[in-house]
Amino acid sequence: MTVWRCILTGLLALTGVHAWAADQPVPKLAPAVLAQAVTDDSFSVPTPGELLAALNKVGKPNWQAQYRPPIPTAYTSRPQIALNLGGLIADGYLAVEAEDSQQVKNIGKDIITLAKTLGISENVLKRGRSIEDFAENNEWSTLKEELDATQNEVKLAMDEQQDEELTTLVTLGGWIRGTQAVSGWIASNYTEPEAKLLRQPGILALLRAKLAALPVRTREDDLVKGLDPRLQAIQEMVSFPVTATPTQADVKKLNDAAGELVTNITSKR
Amino acid sequence: MKSILLRATLMSVMALALGPRVGYASADAPTDAEVEAHKDVLDLAGAFTNDGFKLRDGYYAGTLKTGQLVVIQVNLYAGNEYWFSVATAKPESAVTIAVYDETGNLVKTNPYTDAHRAAAGFSPDNSGPFYLKIADTGAPATYCTIYSYK
Repeated sequence: MTVWRCILTGLLALTGVHAWAADQPVPKLAPAVLAQAVTDDSFSVPTPGELLAALNKVGKPNWQAQYRPPIPTAYTSRPQIALNLGGLIADGYLAVEAEDSQQVKNIGKDIITLAKTLGISENVLKRGRSIEDFAENNEWSTLKEELDATQNEVKLAMDEQQDEELTTLVTLGGWIRGTQAVSGWIASNYTEPEAKLLRQPGILALLRAKLAALPVRTREDDLVKGLDPRLQAIQEMVSFPVTATPTQADVKKLNDAAGELVTNITSKR
Repeated sequence: MKSILLRATLMSVMALALGPRVGYASADAPTDAEVEAHKDVLDLAGAFTNDGFKLRDGYYAGTLKTGQLVVIQVNLYAGNEYWFSVATAKPESAVTIAVYDETGNLVKTNPYTDAHRAAAGFSPDNSGPFYLKIADTGAPATYCTIYSYK
């Protein structure tokens, strides 16, 4: 019996697979398996809508307070356009949550203008018209799905143009702008349950890995080059333990860091 | 007890021999089988949409060989409710889906199984990364997975 136990223990240690014996808990996924998990930024990174939905459950945010002034729409760098497209889509989610049809329409127009500068406006244009129609008819629930679809339409068009490396930047731009808005609200209306929502160690690890894998010509873009150190700092802020709760000062610090990055992304160069 | 230990040892040996195998979706246009699986999983998720869940636009599809599993990372928010759905392209190809937390522990979910379609619903207590484990139950299968939230 002791021999069998030794063999079993050794094998389990090697494989990370836990025993199926009746008196044992259900098998865990081994760290090696978790480390090899598939990550896809269109599936593994939540939409801004998911974060806003979670926050709506613990508070009644005034999303209009998180609007920002219109951003420039005449950039020449494709990575910068991609980052700002993501940010605008996040702005669209905020306007939908605020049920502000005029703001939704304004943002829809800016999305189309930016998409045109990348030459990917055809399908995005159709989505833009749908967004305008849904906003006109106050179809807020449908609009959330339409924004999600718009983001994917932009990425699909980028893929078709062999600009697939830019899709990660769209996702990143959306996440940063969403985080800026949400942390801004929480910093001003602090509660512990809301602050705990900001925990997201996996997302930035994933996005930073995708950034590191971008083609050299994209990585050497001035704006893209400066992203990683700032993202590393933000990653540390959102990687607190499950049992911890960020203080109001911590949330403010995160909001400042996300805000600086958004300013950097939107500044014309 | 001895037979349980023997079985566990045998399974461990098999796991060691096979190793963790992960399937990947193709970046190319979806195959006919992926389109079929996508159609079936959308049909399943429609029931959740009727219950107020928003369907995330986008899907993850691929092919599982016999005995193979795929593990996909998702990042979720505490307080939201989620349904993760999966379907295979053929009604005779059964599939399972399970959710694990970031330490690899199985999460208790509300399960749904319907031959070649399965779903797992739950509401996380903490925000952070979770892992979907999709596995076949005996036959090769092209699968498609999607998720819904509210």
